[in-house]
Amino acid sequence: MAAIDSLLKAAFALPILAIPARAGAVEAGEVGMSVLGYKEQGLMKVTEPVAWGWMQFGDGWEVRANVAVDIVTGASPELVTNVTGKPVQVVTGASVEDRRTLWDVKVAKRIGEATIGVSGARSDEHDYLSKAFGLEAKYDLDDRNTTLTAAYGRLKDRVRSHDDPTLDEPRDTDEYLLGIAQVLSPVAAVQSTLQWSRGDGYYNDPYKHTRTFYPDGGVPAFAVDTRPSHRDSLAWITRYRHHFPASAGTLQLEYRYYRDDWGIRAHTFEVGWHQPVGERWTLRPALRYYTQSQADFYTPVIPQPQPAILSSDQRLATFGGLSPSLRAQLQLDDRWRVEGTIGYIENASRLRLGGGGSEAFVTLRAYYGIVGVSRSF
Amino acid sequence: MKRLLASLLALALAGCASVAPYQRGYLARPGMSFEESAAMAKTMEKVFVAKEAASGSASVGGSGCGCN
Repeated sequence: MAAIDSLLKAAFALPILAIPARAGAVEAGEVGMSVLGYKEQGLMKVTEPVAWGWMQFGDGWEVRANVAVDIVTGASPELVTNVTGKPVQVVTGASVEDRRTLWDVKVAKRIGEATIGVSGARSDEHDYLSKAFGLEAKYDLDDRNTTLTAAYGRLKDRVRSHDDPTLDEPRDTDEYLLGIAQVLSPVAAVQSTLQWSRGDGYYNDPYKHTRTFYPDGGVPAFAVDTRPSHRDSLAWITRYRHHFPASAGTLQLEYRYYRDDWGIRAHTFEVGWHQPVGERWTLRPALRYYTQSQADFYTPVIPQPQPAILSSDQRLATFGGLSPSLRAQLQLDDRWRVEGTIGYIENASRLRLGGGGSEAFVTLRAYYGIVGVSRSF
Repeated sequence: MKRLLASLLALALAGCASVAPYQRGYLARPGMSFEESAAMAKTMEKVFVAKEAASGSASVGGSGCGCN
């Protein structure tokens, strides 16, 4: 209940959605609330209520806004040690509760065939503050069969730590995007987007450490998580939609290629099937597969001599992940819709494409569920 | 990478027909949207970003997280 209370307070602090509504100028829109519940086996639990809305009004204006509260309880592995002979993850801290409030707003205006948008976002938690803004331009060609998109985003983050009150380091990122969406036929469309970013600042995880014991019985080595102070990355995302009128179903495919200058290469595939059932129901089963190779400086065991940069955080390791999900939507009437999603995530060394997953990777198993209600107007 | 991009662009544009507005009934269906349930898509993206090294979506300017 405290989370819902925080969320409602945050939502009311955003009058931007209320202004056009009160002016009576709204042409179309939708508002909704949903709650995400996420639970890892043995580790953390996340509850996230979200309120969101969008509306079109006046002369080609559109406003979108989201506000959410993340409540994280449980523990996160902090130490990787090979004291048992093999590197293992150890949760050393007590179970904690952390709360994050986040909001984002986007305002866009259509001018002829172009749409210009400006966005702002903020994410606040005890040990991390992120502020961002974005600019986006879209242009429709060929009777809106083609849409070109160019965007720029800037993030200014501050990294802090529960354990070290003196830590207060910046991390700044510039993001760039070019995209094209193309209608292929009356039943098919494709969207392809290239996104690249350049970041500078503090990337270390202040809670993660490594302790290594050597066979010769000498002094064990200890290292705090230390990462490069720069990160360049590139992501290429392609989405395909194909509608099958005979069944009224739609095939949804997505592929993302990712690479960065930390040495990480990753592929993400998702296939979904959007199927109306009767007049009111829609079902969407989906399957997501993910595979990544490790960062150059990832190591669960401190080598000798000890390098200046190393991390045993298994999120930088070589592994793969599989996530099936099922979403169901029920249109109650012309205005109201309810929906629910359940999903399962398993990240494991054995799921890495082509094998060769990191030996020290501890399998992550998590379940999640989302329930939501929305009203269109 | 540049060759891949050019190939994709050529593929996309070569395979397409100019579809008139009156033929776009199916394209307007909810399942055909690239931005369906944008709020939920952002929520799920955060869930995966917190456990994986890769990131990136079809938009920029969203805030980051500690995700420890």
